Amino acid sequence: MIPEPVPSPPTDNWQKRPSWRERFGHVPWFRRYEFLGGLFLLLLLLAFFLPPFGRPESALAWMEIVVFFLVVLFWAGIILTDIEKPNWLKAIAAVLIVLVFGWLFYQYSGARWNKLVHAFFNWDVLNSTGSYGSTTSAWIELLAGLWLTLKLAFFSMIFGTLFGLILAVLRNLHDPVLNFFLTIWVDFFRAIPIIVLMMLIYYAFPYLGITLSGVVAGVLTLSLNSSAYISEIFRAGIESIHHGQVEASRALGLTTMQTMRLVILPQAIRVVMPPLASNYVAMVKDTAICSVIAILELLKTAITLQSWLANPTPLVAATALYLVILIPMARFSSVLENRMKARGISRAFASKKG
Amino acid sequence: MANSKPTPTRESFAQRYRIRFGHLPWYKRYEFLLPLVVTLLVIGFLLLPPLGKPTPAQWLWIGVFFALLILWVVGVLTDIEKPRWIRAIAAVGFVFVLGFLFYRYSGAQWDKLTTNFFNLSVMEGLWGDLGQGLLMTIKLAFVSMGISLVLGLLIAVLRSLNNPILNVFLIIYIDFFRAIPLIVLVVFIFYALPFLGIELDPYLSAVVAVSLNYAAYVAEVFRAGIESIYRGQVEASRALGMSTMQTMRLVILPQAVRVVIPPTTGLMVGLLKDTALTTIIGLPELLYKGIQNTIWQSNPTPLVAAAVLYIVVLLPLTRFSGYLETRSKKWVKTAR
Amino acid sequence: MGEDRALMIDVIDLHKYFKDHHVLKGLNQKVYKGEVVAIIGPSGGGKSTFIRCLNRLEEPSSGKILIEGTDITATRTDINRVRMEIGMVFQSFNLFPHLTALQNIKLAPIHVRRMSEKDAEERGRQLLKKVGLQEKASAYPDQLSGGQQQRVAIARALAMQPNMIFFDEPTSALDPEMIREVLDVMDNLAKEGMTMLVISHEIGFIREAATRILVLADGCIIEEGTPNEVLKHPQHPRTQDFLSKIL
Repeated sequence: MIPEPVPSPPTDNWQKRPSWRERFGHVPWFRRYEFLGGLFLLLLLLAFFLPPFGRPESALAWMEIVVFFLVVLFWAGIILTDIEKPNWLKAIAAVLIVLVFGWLFYQYSGARWNKLVHAFFNWDVLNSTGSYGSTTSAWIELLAGLWLTLKLAFFSMIFGTLFGLILAVLRNLHDPVLNFFLTIWVDFFRAIPIIVLMMLIYYAFPYLGITLSGVVAGVLTLSLNSSAYISEIFRAGIESIHHGQVEASRALGLTTMQTMRLVILPQAIRVVMPPLASNYVAMVKDTAICSVIAILELLKTAITLQSWLANPTPLVAATALYLVILIPMARFSSVLENRMKARGISRAFASKKG
Repeated sequence: MANSKPTPTRESFAQRYRIRFGHLPWYKRYEFLLPLVVTLLVIGFLLLPPLGKPTPAQWLWIGVFFALLILWVVGVLTDIEKPRWIRAIAAVGFVFVLGFLFYRYSGAQWDKLTTNFFNLSVMEGLWGDLGQGLLMTIKLAFVSMGISLVLGLLIAVLRSLNNPILNVFLIIYIDFFRAIPLIVLVVFIFYALPFLGIELDPYLSAVVAVSLNYAAYVAEVFRAGIESIYRGQVEASRALGMSTMQTMRLVILPQAVRVVIPPTTGLMVGLLKDTALTTIIGLPELLYKGIQNTIWQSNPTPLVAAAVLYIVVLLPLTRFSGYLETRSKKWVKTAR
Repeated sequence: MGEDRALMIDVIDLHKYFKDHHVLKGLNQKVYKGEVVAIIGPSGGGKSTFIRCLNRLEEPSSGKILIEGTDITATRTDINRVRMEIGMVFQSFNLFPHLTALQNIKLAPIHVRRMSEKDAEERGRQLLKKVGLQEKASAYPDQLSGGQQQRVAIARALAMQPNMIFFDEPTSALDPEMIREVLDVMDNLAKEGMTMLVISHEIGFIREAATRILVLADGCIIEEGTPNEVLKHPQHPRTQDFLSKIL
């Protein structure tokens, strides 16, 4: 006869659950909920002692704010770097960082927030007539400035690339004497700040009798500057082509020119596009420097409108226009770079920042 | 076994010439190049228009001369077999003729060069002023460097936490400050913020603008550095039982620092260059002093002096940071 | 060997220095039409350098090299004309990545031999068929396996209708299962009477297809003979040592 199974004795539920020590004993002291909870209460306490709304008066007030923010950062940092903490807690910590930062900025930057709309987003100002008695509205003038900006960038891109290509081809002749001069040229135009060069060409050269119009001076400066960087980009692109290709091509009987034309350049063009794209993005940004030589591109237009209309909304609008143009360009340029990386073609160039 | 024709004891000059040079294309041959040099010299000395801005008809002559010069230079410099000294002459000659053409035909009044660009009497007493400007430039640069490095590091570390909520704000910051031109930012902070009640003097505006701008670039560089450390290292150290913090501190950061130094140096040199942009809000840094004195004296020498100072400081720095970057590229390649 | 067979390559006292390193020490060699000469030896012995000197991918330091009677070491010989007669297959294939297989093959005939586009295309397809890759005509190199790439490289060299082909370790970069297909193509070429210089470690292929073996070590030809002689009864101790390691 099979004996009947003996029912197990009823267990005590309390003893089945792991104890607090079993669950958290291994956690270092600063990650424990006890500590974090206490720190949080401390933070709430500190918050009471924060200075009131408005620009802080004394250094002590500044220190209080900074200390408070650092403690918040510290608290959130502990949570965020701990893998075992639950995700909802981490979300709270992250949101808290951002909210506290925003709140601190709102409280203490001394900004008069009620004036924000009137000062920065004033639609009437944009619609009013532009500077110096012109009949078009400010809005239209800004767009005209933007158009000039784009034209400046476009022509500078063309001349800069052309000239950079010439410089790179000259470099590729590997003639030491020529390279000496080329290196001096390229180094000079990489070292001098664009604004200094622009001022030299526009303000100093007329004393020598060379007077160039603002736009010509601007395009010339930007082209000279970017040609130096672009020549480096092309040179690195040409050199990145594996030497075995050259050998195979020469072994087939192709001349140096033919090898360059049929084998190296087609490949080099593909390699060269991402850094070239980021260089073009930088060039659009640099057109803003042309404002110092009285070209009515976007920034100059905005500054003029602002002083004429005594309201910074045109400047805000100009900033927005710059962002609208540049952020997509910058994103596109990084997409190009990532695609190149995915294809296993290494980027071996020093490009301008960005 | 006979394997080659017996060489004749004396080949004619024509035969030897053909053997030596027969394979060259027409533009590389001495028969072509020598007459070309003569033509160039003739045009150069006799037929080129005199000093001064040329008329359209004269431009034609100059154009012809220039085209022939290019042809000659190409013929010589692209031929590896031409002797060293001929190629050196071609290269040097090319540069000098370019300079010469520019000198003659740019319409510049070169006699005015000394009085206008290098006028020492104007410069007297100005060195102190320019020196102050340079000090201000350096002060601005160093303070901004410090702030942007710290801020950039903070942002990079926060990014590496890979927290989606935090990342949204961080990416917005980085995209915004990388997209906006620095000069626009400087102008905005100085001219527009006062309308909100935030009034910063030129120095503070400059520091804030430059720091915020460069922090974004620094953050990207640091992030790329942190991510470039091979993933396997992170896994290995975690497998050894190290926490995230320890991994970061002992394994990743030491390596990342080495990777990050060349591009960061490049950024900092760029920062020094960009301090010149703050002229536009009246900060008395080097370029501003140069322009101011130029206007007061109606003579561009101070501006030229300021430009020279910029070059003297920046040229070695750009060379150095470029050298660092190429050196690190080689290192990265072999490490793969 | 018959004296009326054409002398394709005549090397006389070839020396090559890399900085101070004496890589080739006075080599003398004659290669006749139709010979398949295999070059073996320890690595660093100068095999690759030797072959590359023959089409002046490396510049000899001194000595004379005559290709079909033309002294290519003479200072002003048009090397490109000579290279039309010599085909070269590299260890790392060196196909042009931006061109398809067929375009790779057509490139030199069109631009160097001045063939018409149609003729070059037709010849290219024939060659692809010959190496067994006719369906891969529009594939790019990165879509082909190593063995396929090397076969395209051989077709590319053949497209120039050379009188001799040099192979610089053609199968050393291939996975084992792809070596056979390349060696088969090389076998066929040898049977068709092509003059070939092959640097290889594939002893099986050498035993079957080579008419002569050169053993190159430390920049000198230390032994020379038919495959039977050299492989079965090596004379020089270096050769014995080397063969014992690879056989």
